Amino acid sequence: MSKPSTSPSSATDQPNETLVEVEGLKKYYGEAGRFSGPPVKAVDGVTFNIEEGETLGLVGESGSGKTTLGRTLIQLETATEGRVSFSGQDITKLSGDELKQWRKNAQIVFQDPESSLNDRMTVGELVREPLDAHDWKSPAERREKVRSLLSAVGLQEDHYFRYPHQFSGGQRQRIGIARALALEPDFLVLDEPVSALDASVQAKILNLLEDLQEEFGLTYLFIAHDLSVVRHICDRVAVMYLGKIMEIGETEELYTDAQNPYTKSLLSAIPRPDPTSERTRITLPGTPPSPRDPPEGCQFSTRCPAKIRPEQFADLNDDTWDAIEQFREVVRERTRLDVGVRDRMKRQLGVFSKFDDIEAAATELFDDVEIPPDVEKPIQTAIEHVKDGYPGRARNHLKAEFGGVCDTQRPEMHPVSESGRLSYCHRHSDEYADVDTTLERRTDGH
Amino acid sequence: MENADDLADRESDGLWSRVMTNPTPAARWAAVATVLLLLEFGAFAGGLLTILDAIVMGATALLDVVVGIFAPGLAQSIVDVQLAASTFIEGVRHAAESLPTLLSRDVIPNQGYQTQSGTWNGTFLGLSPAAAWALRLSLVLLYSLFAFYWLYKGWQLFRTHYRKADWTPRDDMVARLQNHSWGKFGIIVLVLFLTMSLFGSTMAPSTVDQNITSSYSHEIQYFSEESGQVETVTVGQANFNSKSKGAGDQNVGVMSYDQYDRFHPFGTLTNGRDLFTYMMGGAQITLMVAGIAIGLASLIAALLALVASYYTGVVDLSILTLADGVVSIPQLLLLILVSVVFQNHWLSSVLNGGLLLALIFGLTTWPFLWRSLRGPALQVAEEEWVDAAKSFGQRPTTTMRKHMLPYVLGYLLIYASMSVGGIIIGMASLSFLGNGLGITPPTPAWGRVISLGQPYVSTQSWHISLIPGVMIVILVTGANALGDGIRDAIDPESEGDSEEEAAAAGGGA
Repeated sequence: MSKPSTSPSSATDQPNETLVEVEGLKKYYGEAGRFSGPPVKAVDGVTFNIEEGETLGLVGESGSGKTTLGRTLIQLETATEGRVSFSGQDITKLSGDELKQWRKNAQIVFQDPESSLNDRMTVGELVREPLDAHDWKSPAERREKVRSLLSAVGLQEDHYFRYPHQFSGGQRQRIGIARALALEPDFLVLDEPVSALDASVQAKILNLLEDLQEEFGLTYLFIAHDLSVVRHICDRVAVMYLGKIMEIGETEELYTDAQNPYTKSLLSAIPRPDPTSERTRITLPGTPPSPRDPPEGCQFSTRCPAKIRPEQFADLNDDTWDAIEQFREVVRERTRLDVGVRDRMKRQLGVFSKFDDIEAAATELFDDVEIPPDVEKPIQTAIEHVKDGYPGRARNHLKAEFGGVCDTQRPEMHPVSESGRLSYCHRHSDEYADVDTTLERRTDGH
Repeated sequence: MENADDLADRESDGLWSRVMTNPTPAARWAAVATVLLLLEFGAFAGGLLTILDAIVMGATALLDVVVGIFAPGLAQSIVDVQLAASTFIEGVRHAAESLPTLLSRDVIPNQGYQTQSGTWNGTFLGLSPAAAWALRLSLVLLYSLFAFYWLYKGWQLFRTHYRKADWTPRDDMVARLQNHSWGKFGIIVLVLFLTMSLFGSTMAPSTVDQNITSSYSHEIQYFSEESGQVETVTVGQANFNSKSKGAGDQNVGVMSYDQYDRFHPFGTLTNGRDLFTYMMGGAQITLMVAGIAIGLASLIAALLALVASYYTGVVDLSILTLADGVVSIPQLLLLILVSVVFQNHWLSSVLNGGLLLALIFGLTTWPFLWRSLRGPALQVAEEEWVDAAKSFGQRPTTTMRKHMLPYVLGYLLIYASMSVGGIIIGMASLSFLGNGLGITPPTPAWGRVISLGQPYVSTQSWHISLIPGVMIVILVTGANALGDGIRDAIDPESEGDSEEEAAAAGGGA
């Protein structure tokens, strides 16, 4: 939006001041009790900067932790670990009055304008409330301020005494934006601000946000799941998957030349109006793993189309390898199921039979593919483990046998372009073939 | 469309200046309201002062108990202050009640005697006592219904002429309540009973003081057939000869005169007292105790529901445990226990024992209300506007008050009006059991009179038990109807009987 058309701002040549610095931020839910299960790792160690005046897009499928990240940045959630520095000040340590004072600097616009406005208050009261909460100047000046805010977001001044019920979704979102702007913040978290709106209204709200950014010199974190909206409005984009940033960099660059396998598959899913377009769509198998139990290695490893195979399986037929990966996914799903007390007893007695259907699943997967003996043996062992009621053992066994670096090690953020774009993937290190070659080889094979 | 200047005026000015710019409707309304108020100023002031007295007593009592734990000497001085304040309020109240009011027994007297010629002496315009009483009663009822309507009218005026917003969500609720006949029935029942408690002494053929509490210090005149002349007798003596005992000629039934030319709309009691007067006196104490109790319970329930749902976690859990603890105490047993323990304590003399009852009912009823409120409160706490308030640093108390309370208040009204029935029945049960429980005799209490009349239910003196019973049924039904009406007004999609309501309504002993 504020992007200079000639030389895009970037991390390397630093034309702007850094406004928000996020370092190793983690947000886990529900780890308090001794008896509760493993925590939900909504945000699992992310590091990035937001430059002053820029718009950083944050995309990802639902459950990837993008909203949690946004809420943690403005201290609606308390960070489990890590730092969030705002103009150099670590805000995760703030509390009481200091926190209240700081809150003026960072505000949020919520996704659903239906539930983010208290509909027992008039529009005027709603927009005025932040000013009242901070005892901003005199009441008369507050009313004046509210009126100017209302016209700034494209509402009429005589809407002051109306109730949110009397407005359409787009207008309600405008009220929400006016409220977020009341304290003149520097930084706004826009949590999917247009996803609840009609397409025609979306464009108007996006334009309004762009105009406001210019007028008030705002910095945005724009959370979205709609990739085309992000491309339209953002200077830089961060792609999130399972609480981790997969790739972050200049918007245009990232859209035209994605490096991370996850970004590639996301972008390949955007429908193209051009029927002659040659790009092949990469479909991801399965569903994202539970954030309670993310993979030990790369978060994306369970579904990655460019996953690195261990050396000894390098020559294995692609179909066989896919079947193995799918089988591992099936076993992984089994580990999510709770085993009740009765089944535990059965397991002890060796009469457990609940998981016997694993055999049928395996047959179906491996029926049409050739299986070399060094593959067959571990698979059989795994099937036995599952049938005995220990899918966890089966999972570990399979990982030990078939796991590569993606299964065992967290990747680093590798710089992947001149402008300082970063991607979270083992393939960017020199030891391995890069993502493009791998994916091409695979799509050719199909 | 109005221009910005108009708007600025409308916005920045208070209600007063808005009234000044368009004074006619407000002035008209205020003129009628002033006349209404002046007509019955004494009664209103008396009623308000009675409530004020109870509040002062309650507040100082609480302070006294708390301070008493740490410093008994200080507690004594609080009692002294309390006594002085109460005596002062009492004095003012008597002064206020002695102010002439238009619809008083002095203006339309109904006590007199009939001479041999058939003419009535001492009654209003020589009407029969029955007619004079009926006239006074209907005038009071008309007055109170009109006054209530006029209050509503005032709100409508405010809405059309002086309110800043053209429309509020509350307007729709009022409109829905207007179309809800069952709810309107509830409102009318409540207004009628409130009238009874405020104007009871004017509506009754006699007063509680004259007829019940100090009957031997009042005298009435009657025409004696035997001696052929007007004679004087104490009310107590007259009562003694007007008993309703079921058998033989010992019965003064509904809508009949006794031998002293006194008219008894609901007949007399087993001790010859007037049942209608008794019921009016009972209405006052019943509504006052039930009001204080449900007010206290609502306050605690709303406060704890908001705190529990805002902070959740440990706070919620501890309140839950507390509520469960309170619920596990059998209410009736506790009431009996506390009544016995406090028998000679000064607290049990406030409002003739009513305040103590109200406190116990209030402190044992809140968990039922709290349970019903906790769900809606948790739901509101999850709304994004609460997060929004947090995001700009709003204080938790303000967030609870502005963003959560308005959504919980409706539910509170519903459950409170349904639970109040349980408290009324609970009070009646205590008075019914007697033996030092409930309201201290001879102050009228509905339950006691039901108990008195119990042996005569199947005789000609059936009225003694039946009429108070029916009145309790009407009041409790009315309160429930009001609750239904409010529920449907708040949430037009809500269905009829839910289990929660049953749980809340069953809160009584």
